[in-house]
Amino acid sequence: MSEIELRNVSKRFTGATAVKRANFTIRDGEFFILVGPSGCGKSTLLNMIVGLEDVSEGEIRIDGQRVNELDPKDRNMAMVFQSYALYPHMSVRDNIAFPLKLAKLSKPEIDRRVARAAQILELDAYLDRKPRALSGGQRQRVAMGRAIVREPSAFLLDEPLSNLDAKLRVQMRTEIARLHNRLGTTTVYVTHDQTEAMTLGDRIAVLRKGEVLQIGTPRALYERPRNLFVAGFIGSPAMNFLPARRAEGRLELPPGALEIPAHNAKQWGTAQGPLIAGFRPEHLRVIGERDVSGLCFAARAEVVEWLGADLFVYFDVALKGFGEMGLPDDLDIQRGDTARHTLVARIDPAHAVNEGDSVRVGLDWRDVQVFDAASGENLTLSNAVNEH
Amino acid sequence: MAGGADHGRTERWVWGAGSVVVIVYALIPVAWILSLSLKRSADLGDNRFFPQLVSLEHYAAVFQDPQFSAALWNSIGIAGISTLAAVLLGMLAAYAIVRLEFPGRRLILAAALSIAMFPPVSIIGPLFNIWRTVGLYDTWAGLILPYITFTLPLAIWILSAFFREIPWDLDKAARVDGATPLKAFVFVIAPLAAPAVFTAAILVFMFAWNDFLFAISLTSTNDARTVPAAIAFFTGSSRFQQPTGAIAAASVVVTLPIIIMVLIFQRRIVAGLTAGAVKG
Ligand SMILES: Nc1ncnc2c1ncn2[C@@H]1O[C@H](COP(=O)(O)OP(=O)(O)OP(=O)(O)O)[C@@H](O)[C@H]1O
Ligand SMILES: [Mg+2]
Repeated sequence: MSEIELRNVSKRFTGATAVKRANFTIRDGEFFILVGPSGCGKSTLLNMIVGLEDVSEGEIRIDGQRVNELDPKDRNMAMVFQSYALYPHMSVRDNIAFPLKLAKLSKPEIDRRVARAAQILELDAYLDRKPRALSGGQRQRVAMGRAIVREPSAFLLDEPLSNLDAKLRVQMRTEIARLHNRLGTTTVYVTHDQTEAMTLGDRIAVLRKGEVLQIGTPRALYERPRNLFVAGFIGSPAMNFLPARRAEGRLELPPGALEIPAHNAKQWGTAQGPLIAGFRPEHLRVIGERDVSGLCFAARAEVVEWLGADLFVYFDVALKGFGEMGLPDDLDIQRGDTARHTLVARIDPAHAVNEGDSVRVGLDWRDVQVFDAASGENLTLSNAVNEH
Repeated sequence: MAGGADHGRTERWVWGAGSVVVIVYALIPVAWILSLSLKRSADLGDNRFFPQLVSLEHYAAVFQDPQFSAALWNSIGIAGISTLAAVLLGMLAAYAIVRLEFPGRRLILAAALSIAMFPPVSIIGPLFNIWRTVGLYDTWAGLILPYITFTLPLAIWILSAFFREIPWDLDKAARVDGATPLKAFVFVIAPLAAPAVFTAAILVFMFAWNDFLFAISLTSTNDARTVPAAIAFFTGSSRFQQPTGAIAAASVVVTLPIIIMVLIFQRRIVAGLTAGAVKG
């Protein structure tokens, strides 16, 4: 159990900065998630915490003790690698026992702990096999077993589920959650996967190009993203974005204008210049003819995806008169071109919408967040914070 | 699909026959030497493939010859030390080339390869003169040094190619599991690298063990003369007798260690030991 504190930690490789002044504290017992696009420095950050990479600048403290110079073997942390890194020439038993043997524990104690870990992870039947005779999920469990036998002060997991198929991933995800509840050990978890991040994490840190953009609970990141990148990165399908501009008391969007009540006028800030309006797929509603609150427009359903509990409807909006919005390329939201942009709505599957149908779509001003197109800053949020 | 099965059978038959031809072609001289070494002196010229009567007289003679025992000892010592040194140095070099960032990594590999391409015979003359001047002529070191020089590139290439394939996450995992760098190497990396180390060791050993060129040029007495060179100095029991039987017996004796080594390590040389380390 321990608290991991990063103080302005930077990492420079020859030619590139992989991590820029990371400054945050992972609390004792917390399940902390690092997400971000490929190459943003997640693994580097993890390797610095565990001691496999030197820290170029700044300080890492564990329970208040500076550990920059401490060898990985003396940090008492356990790591699970994306490749699992099982020792191929050792049996499952020896793999799990390896850290204990290095710690020079007594034979009975080692046996006891290995048996316990094997039982927790349901590996009893495979203890004498070599890793090559195991399935992907079993290998993953052995890697977890090697981590938990040590009773380490922290678990560091680098995309531990990314090599598993979808079903196994869900199963292992709940298993990891259960393990964390049971052991209560501080856990740092790197992932690409939205669902893993949202379901497992107590808090999530979003990284981009080596910078920590925002840290918060999954809910905070989803509802109050600090900038365009976090807004677009968190959530699946991603948030809808449209170019916008300000007019008196209104926000003009390509499909029409959104009225905002006078006493809420400051909600969207006062910054001039090009804006981007963002709203979640579930905030686009299918409405009847007579419903005229908020912004209403007709659109043609281009693609309809029925997922049982959800219905996703994709439709195009012409960008007439509005310039192209500069969404960050690393966001991976490619929904259109200079002339039109694709929006997605998550609606109640009770609505019988078919491809090609014309639907009336409504959007409430309360659900729209406004971003500065140049800086990406969420104006809605900063303004709301200023008011309080 | 009878045609397909037929085709498969023909193919297997062709491959099988080809293998047999190659093996017979390669082994006939060996069998001939073995046969010669077991014939009595009187039967040496009898033009038979199998000895009429098996006799160990040539082996006895060879082992009684103090020249041969000395040469055998020299061969074992020189080849052994060369192998040990070349493999050890090769491992360090390959590890550095694969694991460390430093300028000129590729240059080292290229330079090593060019040394391996170098015809040894072209340096024999100068080496002879240098060794006589510095006092390495007719010493163990005088042979070990060129052997290391000419086998190290090979060792480095084999080992670095193999080290590149080792999942180095294993090294990191061992370090996090509480191992010192040395323990991580000994318990995790070395067992995985064993096949490559054995392969390199056997090749280096064979080079040193079989070498005739350096051995004949850089030695003059029993102090450092190895078996291949010593065989050339065998004399018959009289001036008029060809020492054919003794040469054959000596040849068999020096071939045995190589065969035994290959047989023992054959199974360890099989790669694929690393299967299952990573996702697979
Ligand atoms: N040893 C190294 N030398 C030079 N640059 C490196 C080294 N290791 C990583 N980098 C660079 O640092 C940046 C961050 O790498 P890192 O592996 O931490 O990314 P990541 O977020 O884990 O990506 P992924 O999700 O693909 O695993 C990358 O741009 C990478 O190219
Ligand atoms: Mg990574």
